[in-house]
Amino acid sequence: MEIHEWMINYTRQTEWIDRRGIFLWIAFYAGGLGGGLYLVSLYFNSLWGMFLSWLIIAVVKGGAHLIYLGKPLRFWRIIFRPNSSWLARGIIFVLAFTVFAAAQLALSFWLPGTAVEIFFKVLAGISALAIAVYTGFVLNTVKAVPFWNSTLLPLLFVLCGILGGFGLSVIIGLNGGNVNVAVAETGSRWLLIVNALLIVVYLWGASNREATGKKSVMEQIRGNLAPVFWVGIVVLGIVVPMAIALSSYFVAELSSTLLVTGVTCEIIGGLALRYCVLKAGAYKPLVAIAQQSPN
Amino acid sequence: MRWGMVVDLTRCIRCYACVAACRIEHFLPIGMSWPRLVAMETGGDRPTVSTYSVRCNQCQNAPCVEVCPTGATYQREDGIVVIDQSKCVGCRYCVIACPYQNRTFLSRDKDKGFFPGSTQTDFEKAGKERYPHQIGTTEKCNFCVERIDAGLAKGLKPGIDRDATPACVNTCPAQALTFGDLDDPDSEISRLIKERGGFQLHPEYDTNPSVYFIDGKIGYSEVTETRGDSEHEPTPTGVK
Repeated sequence: MEIHEWMINYTRQTEWIDRRGIFLWIAFYAGGLGGGLYLVSLYFNSLWGMFLSWLIIAVVKGGAHLIYLGKPLRFWRIIFRPNSSWLARGIIFVLAFTVFAAAQLALSFWLPGTAVEIFFKVLAGISALAIAVYTGFVLNTVKAVPFWNSTLLPLLFVLCGILGGFGLSVIIGLNGGNVNVAVAETGSRWLLIVNALLIVVYLWGASNREATGKKSVMEQIRGNLAPVFWVGIVVLGIVVPMAIALSSYFVAELSSTLLVTGVTCEIIGGLALRYCVLKAGAYKPLVAIAQQSPN
Repeated sequence: MRWGMVVDLTRCIRCYACVAACRIEHFLPIGMSWPRLVAMETGGDRPTVSTYSVRCNQCQNAPCVEVCPTGATYQREDGIVVIDQSKCVGCRYCVIACPYQNRTFLSRDKDKGFFPGSTQTDFEKAGKERYPHQIGTTEKCNFCVERIDAGLAKGLKPGIDRDATPACVNTCPAQALTFGDLDDPDSEISRLIKERGGFQLHPEYDTNPSVYFIDGKIGYSEVTETRGDSEHEPTPTGVK
């Protein structure tokens, strides 16, 4: 007989993380990171940052998402139905950003300070924010997966993206880009604290959202995902960058190697967060008795 | 009119005829199964295996329809949820959104052929022509819409006339499957639901499935039923 564990056990979703689903995980994270970096770059008016965010969104995010699709050549069908789902809206945001940010970059290079440039900055900025936030809505509207059913998820994803954006801005600043490294570091520090708190609140909320939600949380904390959660999210994503940030209070100037290490850890933490959220998403069993089973 | 199905679990003899009939009717690739017979081994002193015949529930408030970004998945006026394969981009949002996990993405490894590495059989060749499945898209049970539509065009009545009734219902030797109009209070299916306590799976999702189950003991083993002993309440230990 064929095994269908989903009937009697809590089963995690696999389509959006296993096998080719890895591309979707990369696409979701790249969307948040690119969107966050663009917003931070707008604040610093860093052309390099804007250019890098354009590359991340147009090439990495867009490319990974296209590769993931079973019929990538039909992707155009998605953009004509913005009222259907957040996935469709997300693809539209990506296309809009790609166009607006490209125009803005060209204008910033050749016609800086003009009203047209500012106009496109606003349009690209709105698109970037939408890209950073939409993946959270894609997940939180799935009622079948209680772990994702949280209004905190879009906020968590967008803040995680901006945190990564601050991190990359630090690297751009260290390499001569138009970024105030001290301000970027401060922003990164505060967002790190807010993100850590949000993760705790999110997990606490999920553990109180049906037995399946609790199962997903336990899977992260004590189950197969525990190494990714504790090493990826907690140690590399929060503790190490926080320790580096705190050490700046005791050392006059942090070495660039240390700063780059901190930023790398932040990005690994962001990837691990998305990975855990996708991987831990589970369905409740179809058969009622299984809900009471200890399995 | 709203087509629906009742699965009488007390009659099901676990013969897999419904699964086989669907495979033949739709020339399903070897790794794909629209209806599925789910087996569950119960615990206790005398463990037994229970099975449940499941398929797409054709929900009235279908989450898969809501999330489909291209409109490939849509609901017909008769309540049947169908997929237009030519519009599906293979994003798998519908697979994720289905709380019953009754949708399957057709990946290349699910269509290796009956004898991988060998020439296709005549059956497979005929199937590719008559019912082409597209790799990279999502599939699910469609209540044999082609049979229903062709039957209705001939003036036949689905659920009563075999030529207008889903293949799995026709094939079931135990008559555990009943098909008919849920909106017709006099139909056999409505009567079964009313008189024998037909229920839907996970009504809390507010999806209003069109597939009902009859069996007050879903998830309970025959052992428990006969003993009436709470000590031997079944513990799902795995699936075989």
